[in-house]
Amino acid sequence: MGLREDIERFREVGEERREDLEEFISYGDLGGSGPDSIRIPIKVVDLPEFRYDRLDKGGVGQGQGGTPDVGQPVGQPQPGDGDEDGKPGEEGGDHEYYEMDPEEFAQELDEELGLDLEPKGKEVIEEIEGDFTDVTRTGPHSTLDFERLFKEGLKRKLAMDFDDDFVREAMKVEGEDAQSVYQWCRENHILVSLPWIEDEWTRIPEDERDTWASFEEMEENVERTTTLQRIRRDGLRDIPFRREDERYRHPEIIEEKEKNVVVVNIRDVSGSMREKKRELVERTFTPLDWYLTGKYDNAEFVYIAHDADAWQVERDEFFGIRSGGGTRISSAYVLAKQILEEQYPWSEWNRYVFAAGDSENSSNDTTENVIPLMAEIPANLHAYVETQPGGTAINATHAEEVERALEEQDNVVVAYVSSPEDVIDAIYSILSTEAN
Amino acid sequence: MTMRRFRHTARRVAGELEEPVREAGRLARKLGLDPYPVNYWVVDYAEMNQLIAYGGFQRRYPHWRWGMTYDRQQKQDQFGMGKAFEIVNNDNPSHAFLQESNSLADQKAVITHVEAHADFFANNDWFGMFVGESDLDAAAMLERHAEAIQRYTDDPEIDREDVERFIDAVLCLEDNIDQHRTIGDAATGRERIQPEDLRKRLDAMNISENVRRQVFDDEWLDQLAEAEAAAARLDAPRRDVLAFVREHGMYYDEEEGKAVEMEPWQKDVLDMLRKESYYFAAQKMTKVMNEGWAAYWESLMMGEERFAGTDEFVTYADHQSRVLGSPGLNPYKLGKELWEYIENTTNRAEVADKLLRVNGVSWRNFHDIIDFEEVQELLQPDPAIDGVRSDTLDRLAALDDDDPRVDWETLDAALAGDVDVDAYPWKVLTYEGLAERHFSLVKPQNRGFLKRIRRSELEQLSRYMFDDQVYDSVAEAIADVDRSAGWDRMREIRESHNDVTFLDAFLTHEFVKDNHYFTYEFTRSTGEFRVSSTQYEDVKKKLLLQFTNFGKPTIVVFDGNYANRGELLLAHQFNGIMLDIAQARGVLERLYDLWGRPVNLATIVKEYDEHDVEVARRRNREPTPVERGTRIRYDGDEFETFDLDDEITDRIRATDIDYDTKPDEWLS
Repeated sequence: MGLREDIERFREVGEERREDLEEFISYGDLGGSGPDSIRIPIKVVDLPEFRYDRLDKGGVGQGQGGTPDVGQPVGQPQPGDGDEDGKPGEEGGDHEYYEMDPEEFAQELDEELGLDLEPKGKEVIEEIEGDFTDVTRTGPHSTLDFERLFKEGLKRKLAMDFDDDFVREAMKVEGEDAQSVYQWCRENHILVSLPWIEDEWTRIPEDERDTWASFEEMEENVERTTTLQRIRRDGLRDIPFRREDERYRHPEIIEEKEKNVVVVNIRDVSGSMREKKRELVERTFTPLDWYLTGKYDNAEFVYIAHDADAWQVERDEFFGIRSGGGTRISSAYVLAKQILEEQYPWSEWNRYVFAAGDSENSSNDTTENVIPLMAEIPANLHAYVETQPGGTAINATHAEEVERALEEQDNVVVAYVSSPEDVIDAIYSILSTEAN
Repeated sequence: MTMRRFRHTARRVAGELEEPVREAGRLARKLGLDPYPVNYWVVDYAEMNQLIAYGGFQRRYPHWRWGMTYDRQQKQDQFGMGKAFEIVNNDNPSHAFLQESNSLADQKAVITHVEAHADFFANNDWFGMFVGESDLDAAAMLERHAEAIQRYTDDPEIDREDVERFIDAVLCLEDNIDQHRTIGDAATGRERIQPEDLRKRLDAMNISENVRRQVFDDEWLDQLAEAEAAAARLDAPRRDVLAFVREHGMYYDEEEGKAVEMEPWQKDVLDMLRKESYYFAAQKMTKVMNEGWAAYWESLMMGEERFAGTDEFVTYADHQSRVLGSPGLNPYKLGKELWEYIENTTNRAEVADKLLRVNGVSWRNFHDIIDFEEVQELLQPDPAIDGVRSDTLDRLAALDDDDPRVDWETLDAALAGDVDVDAYPWKVLTYEGLAERHFSLVKPQNRGFLKRIRRSELEQLSRYMFDDQVYDSVAEAIADVDRSAGWDRMREIRESHNDVTFLDAFLTHEFVKDNHYFTYEFTRSTGEFRVSSTQYEDVKKKLLLQFTNFGKPTIVVFDGNYANRGELLLAHQFNGIMLDIAQARGVLERLYDLWGRPVNLATIVKEYDEHDVEVARRRNREPTPVERGTRIRYDGDEFETFDLDDEITDRIRATDIDYDTKPDEWLS
């Protein structure tokens, strides 16, 4: 009855409100996520209402220490713009996120798409330190299991802790002495020792000795605090650490093949790659990166942008770059080949080479250069993602040519993405090709 | 939740507060306020959060939304935002809740703040509209609703989920009422009968295709249907969507496969929730005014009347600056500043009026002849009034015994030692006395305000002035100034205005400039919000948008028998700002539960061509959208979108308003 029930009901209504993974990949805001943590917006459970489009509405702000200039960016609309009832700043922010790490992401995507990509351990035999599972009572300080020490100490503290203010009040009851207060404490399950009471007894000012007529009166007027409240109030000051609680851990030594992966992302940044196409590339590549990061022990990424020439870039520039020039896809594969050979030998690294563009290429470059290069660069998978919102242009034949020429090779896949709806299918066909 | 607190802390806090509560009520009345009586309760943190979740009451009907508000409130607290100091509800008597952990200075501030709110509730006409002739007993009303809805929820004949779903649907429309009319008036709309499309009747008559085509060609039929439909349309579209739905709504019965009459419990729930909407409407319509009003009087009582006590004053000032210094557009701050502006301009007009009646002073020579230093000096309060202390009481006693500024009875008591004048100096003064003590134009921050009066205002003042030679000297004129002019005017305004009229009437050029207000718009060229204007007209326009109709788009009922199929047609009265379409669809989905038949929404959407956006981006200009009339239809299963016919498009487009503040040079 009452608010408690309303809160429970709210939790129920709010369950499953995390945005569906497929929907998130296809339509969600990927920008809030970084390589180590994927932030999936949680749907706001509140009821809908007729309201203005947030972007179209604009608003009013107040300059801090002066009127700003027209054209100056204002960031996100300021809270308290009159949209909500009540106090300024009440809107805590509509966007809540569910955070996943790449491992969880990979696992969920496996479940949702029914994938089972097994990362291959490469021929690199390394001695690595396993879990710190072996335990001794002595050891170097740095391997001390502090968590255990702390926990044991905390247990001790909780067992020994009592409400000292309360006991002090009890000592102010008329006509009692240390022994009788101790007796009374024991009866009331207060874990105090007789020496403590005797010690404290002398510190009670004489004129407070008969503050209370009886224990009952004292109890009625003095609020007790729980251990938790005291810890909150005073902090954890003295944890009784004991030598006997100390444990030192040392690792097992095991030999393991490390699962290394390098992912080469190649993107056509030439003039014909408009906003929509770029977005589709980002939508397809980003989840692939997350997925592979989650699957492998160690994932590295190489980003190559190209028009008629190719150059290596950083991740944060990769999806934003635009250039004017023409297109020669082979330039990117030449660069990829060079980087892979120099830094990521095939014997040690799993390799994925993903390229995306609108299938436009300079004449004969595909057949004469790209296809031989793709066949030549050893990799777990070569993928080409054609992004063509609204269907293929006439001269955009790169994807088809690659598909036709390399059909036989089981490490080559071509995927077509013409709208966000196709993203999931593309990801599926890329990742399931590898699985074979 | 029980409010009778016997715990040690609560009891101690309550004891401490008895005197401040009593005296704040008295001080408020001395200052001319006329609040509802207020009952104060001391509550702990958890209870405070519960009260906030329940909108200031102890019981509400069962619904998950309260749980959501509670959850949010707690999260905000964790981040140190939105800490609650007080909550007061609009009831007679009002109930105010104080958090026991507040410092004494905070408690006092809250109490003075609450008294001013209670005055606003009692005297503002928009609040009065709900009260009408009856007595306001909001807590009891909400409790009755809570019990009734709880009964429906517990009723084994009624599916619990159905009740919740129904409430959800009604709550989506809680702001779609006619808040400018009384709940009774808003409910009455004009009945009408929509003629049936002749085609249907022809179909039923089995006339052969041939005959039919010869006699009734399609064009003719279309024209007829259109003309009849137009004639039958509501002359005055209904703004109270909830009332319309209550009257004509149905629900879709799965078993029978058709829409059937609503159940009695559904009608009852709808009536109750609609009533609650009207009850809360006044609060939503007067946020700026009401918060500003409370902040103004709180500051006067706490700061200038030193209700805080000297040692508490520092804590108080800190509290005040925290509340007023919140980021963004702050209703407290905006409201308080506007009230101060009204006080100053009224007082200035009063002083100028008297000065213009001095022999030889005219609006032309005003600024040259008047010695403003001298006027400032003359306006200073009488030292006897200004510095009331136990050791200066004889100065007051020495005034004429009919001096209206002195509360003679209390002064006698004070002289006999029965009144603590040092704690409560205001007790020996009257309203007039206090008005002189706090006359705004002599406050340090307002020096120069009088001098800044424009000649145009002076000219206007003197235009109809007949007795313009009343005084021989400036001193004589100032002695005649009515020091309570500002406060009198403020009380008049708090009676009749709401936020929209308040901002419209009192937001001035000077005000916008002094407070650095600006508008911002989203720019597609950069994908960011940017400052679009600092012009007074633009700021005002944009502000009004945020307060007109609760800051939400106006949606009206156009037709309850749309397309002759019993469909509901709502229309968005387009003012240049488009709807959040995803949200609107969400509402339609739930509205279907109240209508039982397909529901339609006519609106105008703005569309941006990708190519235009691209070009605009390159030129750093804003693209021009295409505005397209659209009808969104939901049939209980899926959505469809149609082009809207031009006639309806024209009807929903308000041609005289434009809330867009983008500068012309941004446009491509």
